[in-house]
Amino acid sequence: MNGVILLVLIVGLGVIAWATTRMRALGFRRRTGGRVRSLPHHHGWYVALWTAAPPLIFLAFWAATSPALVTDMVLGTPAAGRLPPPGFERAAILSEARALAAGQAHGAFHTLSRTLAPAYATAQTRIDWIATAIVLLLALAGGAYAYLRVRPDFSARTRIERVVLGLLLGASLIAILTTAGIVASLLYEAGRFFAVVPITDFLFGAHWSPQVIDPRDPGASLGAVPLFWGTFFIGAVIAMAVAIPFGLMSAIYLTQYAQPRARRIMKPVLEVLAGIPTVVYGYFAALIVAPAVRQFAVSIGIEWASSESALAAGLVMGVMIIPFVSSMADDSLAAVPDSMRDGSLAMGATPSETITRVMLPAALPGVVGGVLLAVSRAIGETMIVVMAASGVATLTANPFASTTTVTRQIVDLLTGEAEFDSPKTLAAFALGLTLFVITLLLNIIALSVVKRYRETYE
Amino acid sequence: MTRRLRRRYAAERRFRLIGMAAVALSAAFLAFLLITMVAQGIGGFTQTRVTLPVDLAAADLPVEPARLKGRGADLALAGAGLEHAVDGAATQAFGADGTDLLSPGAWIVVRDAIKADPALLRGTTRFSLPVASAYDVAAKGEGTPEAEALVTRLKARGVLSTGWNLTFLTDADATDPTRVGIWGAAKGSLLTMLVTLALAFPIGVLAALYLEEYAPKNRWTDLIEVSINNLAAVPSIIFGLLGLAVFLGTFGLPRSAPLVGGLTLALMTMPVIVIAGRNAIKAVPPSIRDAALAIGASRVQVIFHHVLPLALPGILTGTIIGMARALGETAPLLMIGMRAFIAAPPQGLTDPATVLPVQIFLWSDQVDRGFIEKTSAAIIVLLVFLLAMNGLAIYLRNRFETRW
Repeated sequence: MNGVILLVLIVGLGVIAWATTRMRALGFRRRTGGRVRSLPHHHGWYVALWTAAPPLIFLAFWAATSPALVTDMVLGTPAAGRLPPPGFERAAILSEARALAAGQAHGAFHTLSRTLAPAYATAQTRIDWIATAIVLLLALAGGAYAYLRVRPDFSARTRIERVVLGLLLGASLIAILTTAGIVASLLYEAGRFFAVVPITDFLFGAHWSPQVIDPRDPGASLGAVPLFWGTFFIGAVIAMAVAIPFGLMSAIYLTQYAQPRARRIMKPVLEVLAGIPTVVYGYFAALIVAPAVRQFAVSIGIEWASSESALAAGLVMGVMIIPFVSSMADDSLAAVPDSMRDGSLAMGATPSETITRVMLPAALPGVVGGVLLAVSRAIGETMIVVMAASGVATLTANPFASTTTVTRQIVDLLTGEAEFDSPKTLAAFALGLTLFVITLLLNIIALSVVKRYRETYE
Repeated sequence: MTRRLRRRYAAERRFRLIGMAAVALSAAFLAFLLITMVAQGIGGFTQTRVTLPVDLAAADLPVEPARLKGRGADLALAGAGLEHAVDGAATQAFGADGTDLLSPGAWIVVRDAIKADPALLRGTTRFSLPVASAYDVAAKGEGTPEAEALVTRLKARGVLSTGWNLTFLTDADATDPTRVGIWGAAKGSLLTMLVTLALAFPIGVLAALYLEEYAPKNRWTDLIEVSINNLAAVPSIIFGLLGLAVFLGTFGLPRSAPLVGGLTLALMTMPVIVIAGRNAIKAVPPSIRDAALAIGASRVQVIFHHVLPLALPGILTGTIIGMARALGETAPLLMIGMRAFIAAPPQGLTDPATVLPVQIFLWSDQVDRGFIEKTSAAIIVLLVFLLAMNGLAIYLRNRFETRW
């Protein structure tokens, strides 16, 4: 029997357990005149859980261990004596035989696998029957144990609720598991990278050309400084030069000046900018903005302007970040107490003087926190730079020249044809680790700035 | 004194104007982007066709009408030299460049017509066939001079027409821009979203319930909280690296599969749902919990019978917004190998598949000019989906917003 049928069987047994126990519990209710510790369906769930959970847990373990058991049984048969010694060929023959036995393959490359296939089929059938027997035994034992405990004074509800609590706790632990998974996988792969390439070469080297790696000194062509600079230049300089003035002024206008009606319409319109997928921005940047920027550069007399300029990618990224900056600025302006604004206006200051000299300084920590979060988002942004920025790492402060970024390089390194263990692919994980650490630091600083600031006015 | 006042008022007006300009420019950029995409992409939904008489009787195809029924029909017609018959007819009708004029997939239209009506084999029929990409672009106004010249000649003869391009909505990726479609990518997106929703929604809601209703204030729950807030701000490409290292590397799941894409996006979407869920749960007034507890309900009953139903509209709004974000995500899916050329819609969760944003990315790299309008057309479809989802979220928020 295969896994699906076993699952259906277990669920079916669970339903039967639920229904019979509920009937029995309804019976107590009539006999004792309703003086029962738990509702009938609580009893039902209690027994159903005891019926279904142990076999399910067993199946999860079984799924992980049974292939090895099957292989062991096959290796015990006489035909297995002719197998080559452990290695790639042996594994290939065994997996072919398994596919043949399961009916997934029609022909086989090795003749030996055809001889082994029947052995596989018998072993698999035997293992499946063992699994079925254990599942039935566990379900019946668990169900019977629970069914016998169900009495009028048995508090099934508390027990059920303990299980529910466990489920809730488990769900929230997944967040920690994910974070741990990210950190562990990045650290592991980056560790393998740093075993080959010295960490100082990676962090301080100024030459990046992963296409040609010298096996004797891989660190010489894997210096990431140009990438860090390019990321900073596009994400934190050019993009912010667009996003901060536009975002801040939009927030000021919409919160302080605009009619409520205009605000109601314009705020969602700006938010649409944040909802557009980044691949669309990237396409727009590559198709429309990059040629326009190049033309502009040529028209002001720069002949060698690149069509993959830092400016094109940065401009579009800045527009994408506008709603983000404006909503953070909006929040922090709204948190400034009205009395401060009213005081300034009452002294005769114009609204713009009030905003620039009273409200903005008061809201500054919040605005700065918002800008830091925006920077963190910009340097982690991938598709715009993959489509509009260049793949060539150069150390330049000229916005019309081409630069590359960390995220663009991660995509380039991992979508090529390189094998999984080369320093080239592992370098992507080292870059990912750097990106993760930097955005994590930015987020933590930004969130603590915003939090501390909010507390002072409450 | 008045001069100074006038200066201050002028500064005030200037400041206000700058603010207005910032809002207007941002909105103008949005409008420019949307209008450009629609202008570029609207042509992707139509197709230029040329009317071509094909004399199938004269071509004398070696096809037995008996084999035209059922599953062998495609095979029988593919081997019968139908392509040559169509090419011959084109050369006869339009001269030496007649063969180039037709789309490489034009004969498929003829094949499908014959399948529907085998009687066509016995006479001459006027077919309306798609033209090749270069002439399609020329007919829509931006082709090479030679192509434009031919198109003008054909227009004068009255054999060109424009019709809806239904294959764009029903087919999968192809190498020729006149034959590409988005259905394969749309189906991939749908399967991926199903996996994402099935994992992220229950886990996110349960985690939000735990953190809001149960969690004691201690170091562990602080750690959970910090990791959730942090996960929401981790760059999406990092999730792609996680998917690559863990799901593909450690667990050995298949590359390019909606299952892995959905798992990766679920990890990314879950924190969004948790944060939205916590806010919705926090908004349920304590009096409701107290009332239920007072008449003897247990904590679990309070949560699942009272708090959760009241918080559900808020949770759903957050879920839809998170799903919309996941639907538009590209970078993590590139990492797990969803950038292959896949010409058939996926049949299951473990089949190789692509998704709409990745399809857009792949088409944007194509040199053929015909792909520009297809890319923009696919963007229009994606944006329509996203706007619909966000609209639904706003509607839900307005419809079920309760003030206690």
